[in-house]
Amino acid sequence: MPGLALFPLLHIYLVEDSPVIRESLIATLQELVPAEVVGTAADEASAMRWLSEPLQPVDLVIVDIFLQTGSGLGVLRAAQALPQRHRLVVLSNYATPLMRSNCLALGAERVFDKSNEIEALMSYCATLTADPGPGGNA
Amino acid sequence: MNGGKSLRRGRIVLALAVAAAVGMVVISEGAYWQSARALDDLAEIGNASSDILRLQQSVLAAEAGQRGYLLTARREYLVPYNQALQEIDESFGRLHRYYASSTSSATQLDTLRALTDTKLSELAVAIRLYDEGKAAASTDIVLSALNKQQMEAIRALGTELLEAQAVQAEASRVTLHNTLQGRRLAMALLTAISLFALYLFLRRTNELRQQQRRLKDVVQAERDRLEIEVAQRTEQLTELTRHLQTAREDERNRLARNLHDELGSLLTSAKLDAARIKSRLGGTAPEALERLAHLVQTLNQSIALGRSIIEDLRPSTLGNLGLVPTLEILAREFADQTGIAVHCSLAAVRLNATAELMVYRLVQEAITNLGKYARARSVWIALASHHGQVEVSVRDDGVGFDTSAPARSAFGLLGMRFRVEAEGGKLTLVSSPGQGTQVIARLPESGTPRTPDA
Repeated sequence: MPGLALFPLLHIYLVEDSPVIRESLIATLQELVPAEVVGTAADEASAMRWLSEPLQPVDLVIVDIFLQTGSGLGVLRAAQALPQRHRLVVLSNYATPLMRSNCLALGAERVFDKSNEIEALMSYCATLTADPGPGGNA
Repeated sequence: MNGGKSLRRGRIVLALAVAAAVGMVVISEGAYWQSARALDDLAEIGNASSDILRLQQSVLAAEAGQRGYLLTARREYLVPYNQALQEIDESFGRLHRYYASSTSSATQLDTLRALTDTKLSELAVAIRLYDEGKAAASTDIVLSALNKQQMEAIRALGTELLEAQAVQAEASRVTLHNTLQGRRLAMALLTAISLFALYLFLRRTNELRQQQRRLKDVVQAERDRLEIEVAQRTEQLTELTRHLQTAREDERNRLARNLHDELGSLLTSAKLDAARIKSRLGGTAPEALERLAHLVQTLNQSIALGRSIIEDLRPSTLGNLGLVPTLEILAREFADQTGIAVHCSLAAVRLNATAELMVYRLVQEAITNLGKYARARSVWIALASHHGQVEVSVRDDGVGFDTSAPARSAFGLLGMRFRVEAEGGKLTLVSSPGQGTQVIARLPESGTPRTPDA
């Protein structure tokens, strides 16, 4: 893969309950950013278990709002209470104006609509590979 | 039940009453005529007796008059004598008529007549001799023994006739007494029969009344049973409608969730693939890039369609934003689609989630209906809360309709009513031809205010 050696990999943790989206999103992120998905979760509890571990090698957490149990909003809220800082973005089908403002208030850096903001997410991730920012360990 | 028996008994009672009445009339008439005849007979017997007595008195009076004249030679003594002669004649006339029917008494009367005539002729002869100056001869006649015997014979015959009259009178009296006695018994018997008939009639009336009362009780019991059954069935229908309503909303929710989760995921996945393909193609195949752009556009349209279907099935804004903004969006979309001016006056109200959904569906149904039928230019949608009651109103300035006429879309209206009632509220429909239509629902406020969340 060209560019793999030139840029450091972006380490991503994915919280998403749909296996179809999970698979294609992982493939797309690895191919286009490039990034490495270091772990996934389908519900709020397992996501928080993973994130609360100290020194997790993760630069970005992508959270869906509707999960198998719990919700993306719960993940955002709990992540704020953790001692370690994570960079979180929301990728949802419910990107209504109200939902956007709710998510941003709970500490999400950006909110992307699953239907028509996939490319925006990819370019956002691409900018992060140059500047991993807080919580990054690359 | 026992109609034939009752009818037969009714006929017997009627026959008895008629027989008693006829009997009473016959007996009463017979008694009257018989008694009247007996009384007439008695009167005639009495008259005849008086005549006999008067006859005897007149004979004595004639003799007394004659003696007075012979002793005093004064003419005024001849006045009672002549008067007595006339009375004797009249009495015999009446007695002849009376005794004409009875032969034995007639012969006695003839004898009496002969005796009297003889006596009277002797009296007359004595007066004539005296007038002619033969006073001694006259006195001889007066003093003769024959004279006294004649008088005795007249008295005896008169007494005999009187006794016969008395016997006859007694016979008539006995007949009358017997007649009256017989009638008395017959009347008593008939009265008893009448009383018996009256008793039968009263008993029959009482039986009929009891029968009617029993029948009425049976009818009443049946009516009560039917009313209870109707109430039960209505309750069951209401329950069923509620159940169907809930099932419908559940089904819509499930469909919306499936569409959102499954179809949404597939479409998102397709878009991710498209992004990867675009990256791989780079600038090498502009034609393929063009097709890819078209594919992405198609995918976006599919996603938008899916979202609008999902939104229609389950207004996600209701959960996310709350009732007022959801109704505003609904009103705006309706105005855009139909060109009807929509005026909203919406205040935040306290309702639970199912009541909010009900209000949303009610407004949706109302504006859909008026869009189809009302030919309205303007619509006013109001939501407000007064004294613990939430009032929702949808009013239009369309053609309206007669609310008493059979409803065009009875099920739509019935459905609305059931939904409102299931939330403990009440639906009112105000409309008349040419006056527009207003749908008003009033329902109780919920205890806790609902804050929109995710």
